[in-house]
Amino acid sequence: MSESPILEARSLTRYFAVRAGGGGRRHKRLVRAVEDVSLSLRPSRVTAVVGESGSGKSVLARMLARIVTPTSGELMLGGEAVALGTKRPLEYARQVQLVLQDPFASMNPVHLVRHNLERALLIHGTRRDELPTRLEGAMSRVALTPPDGFLDRFPHELSGGQLQRVSIARALCVEPKVLLADEPVSMLDVSVRLGVLNLVRSLAVDERMATLYITHDIASARYIADETMVMYAGQVVERSNGVTLIDEPAHPYTQLLIASVPDPMDPTSVSARVAADEGARQGVADVGCRFAPRCPSVMEICRSQEPPAFAVAADHESKCWRHRDGNVAMAVSVAAHEGSPRA
Amino acid sequence: MNVLEVRDFSIEYGLEEAAVHAVRHVDLDVVRSSVLGIAGESGSGKSTLVYGFTRLLRWPGVVAGGSAVLRVLEDDGTERDVDLLAATERELREIRWSQISIVLQSALSALNPVRRIAKEFDEVLRVHRSGLDRHARRARAVELLDMVGLDEDRLDRFPHELSGGQRQRIMIALALALDPQLVIMDEPTTALDVVTQREIVDQLFELRQRLGFAMIFITHDLSLLVELADEIVVMYAGEIVERASALELYSAPRHPYTLGLINSFPPMHGERRELVGLPGSPADLALLPTGCSFHPRCAWAMEVCKTASPKAQPVGDTGRLVACWLHDGIREVPVELRRSVPQRQPL
Repeated sequence: MSESPILEARSLTRYFAVRAGGGGRRHKRLVRAVEDVSLSLRPSRVTAVVGESGSGKSVLARMLARIVTPTSGELMLGGEAVALGTKRPLEYARQVQLVLQDPFASMNPVHLVRHNLERALLIHGTRRDELPTRLEGAMSRVALTPPDGFLDRFPHELSGGQLQRVSIARALCVEPKVLLADEPVSMLDVSVRLGVLNLVRSLAVDERMATLYITHDIASARYIADETMVMYAGQVVERSNGVTLIDEPAHPYTQLLIASVPDPMDPTSVSARVAADEGARQGVADVGCRFAPRCPSVMEICRSQEPPAFAVAADHESKCWRHRDGNVAMAVSVAAHEGSPRA
Repeated sequence: MNVLEVRDFSIEYGLEEAAVHAVRHVDLDVVRSSVLGIAGESGSGKSTLVYGFTRLLRWPGVVAGGSAVLRVLEDDGTERDVDLLAATERELREIRWSQISIVLQSALSALNPVRRIAKEFDEVLRVHRSGLDRHARRARAVELLDMVGLDEDRLDRFPHELSGGQRQRIMIALALALDPQLVIMDEPTTALDVVTQREIVDQLFELRQRLGFAMIFITHDLSLLVELADEIVVMYAGEIVERASALELYSAPRHPYTLGLINSFPPMHGERRELVGLPGSPADLALLPTGCSFHPRCAWAMEVCKTASPKAQPVGDTGRLVACWLHDGIREVPVELRRSVPQRQPL
């Protein structure tokens, strides 16, 4: 491994208690939103977390930003343990900045862009006479030039792509070491997405930003990430470097995810797809592997025991019983292509 | 052959000088039992166009010109033309749902939250299929749900008890309830996860094979359309900039905007390299540039592009239409825009 991590998470877990059921059958239920997730964010590296809605990826980002308190687990910032369960110190927020999905919802609409950015700086103790240079610096880092043309407008006067750049500028202006980007491009128009993705990538490469990129779009993860983790029902089911994970997926869920992506260059993907019963989707298994109810290559053991993460290659882990004996990636992909059980 | 013919169709929001030209001089043909894809970003006018010819457009949106004809196939095999713009409310009521139906993006807001699903089916069948009694209507609803892969017990649920994918399946089942000849899908899978999207798209494909309805599929996801559609039109700032068969359009685009859109999707295969996509922001309809609307973002913009708007013209001999001066012989066509069309891929 290269440099030591700036932000490190060890076995982060978050449960939510919810009331479930309607009418007379109300009972308490525990939602295991994130369970036992460990990751390291290093300078100059982009780590992608890929998952569908409800997979826990946003809760993970919010725990890393210390907006949501973990049920258990540890956070280390710059090699030092962070005291969880206490109020987040301002300095933590300065070093770890979060960028959200919808830029229109994350800016105050009744104030100028300038005010929105200045507030972030003032809260973090910037002197008023330094504001103009700091703002200009941040705006040019996200390629919004000339800055005045954008600073003196209201959020609604900018396009989605421009405003998302503003919200990245707001995160950058306090000189963070870690950037957590939660679906930063999914609300943007197709033609401007790539520009924002390239910006996130260049912040890591050129400015040594340790970056977490959360997305449901696995192709964009392949495009910008050095390391990719796939989450399913709160757990990391597979992790590897960005290209390997997508070109040689090991876990049945990753394979299903990839087969589902529209891919005009690969018409065979249409027939090799695994169909899963919509009903089964709702139920995440309480015991055993969480993916077992939808898994095309499910085995007896999957229904009773939860698999640990097995190494399938160097820097490539899969949380699947099929990989117990090392390299069984073939077995899974063959099983996935034979018959598709429409349970 | 065509189930729908739209000619020189224009839509404006607002009046006179203040009007925003949301759709400009659009021609559209939908061949019976085929899938026409409309691709475009937000503000390109793709939804407005559909609301225009289905007469769902509300003030201040106004149809400013053009015609739209629906060719209804009667039970005895004869065809009857319906002028959609001239049709009275009464005629429209006969056509809507039974001949043209529409599935909208947000299935949650399209279903009445305080009604069980069964009621939605029951109502439409009671109005349009008055011959059916209560039990027959229920049976038809069960049959429709089965078509989209849902169990009967969903009928007695409320919308909030169903997942996003299930709600969208219900909308599709409802749209097919009266065997329409044309089904319009306005971004039906945009709010859904990729696995759910895949299941629904596969299902739609299979249903279309079986039932033979024609489909207009609107989306901003060009790669999805390439799998699904027979023909694709690409819209930019209210105009059609390119129209071609799905394979031609994707593998050998002729308009710079189409090329840029395709290049905006990171690929799932091959070497990882930096992509450029499209510079700038989508056009602002209230402040359209002169000449070709796309010229401020176009890498090959010429003098003429800044002053004159290009007309859609045939390029090649396959019926492809492109609205771009680059194909007008003023200069040599850039190499990126004259890739050859591959032979049909084996599927």
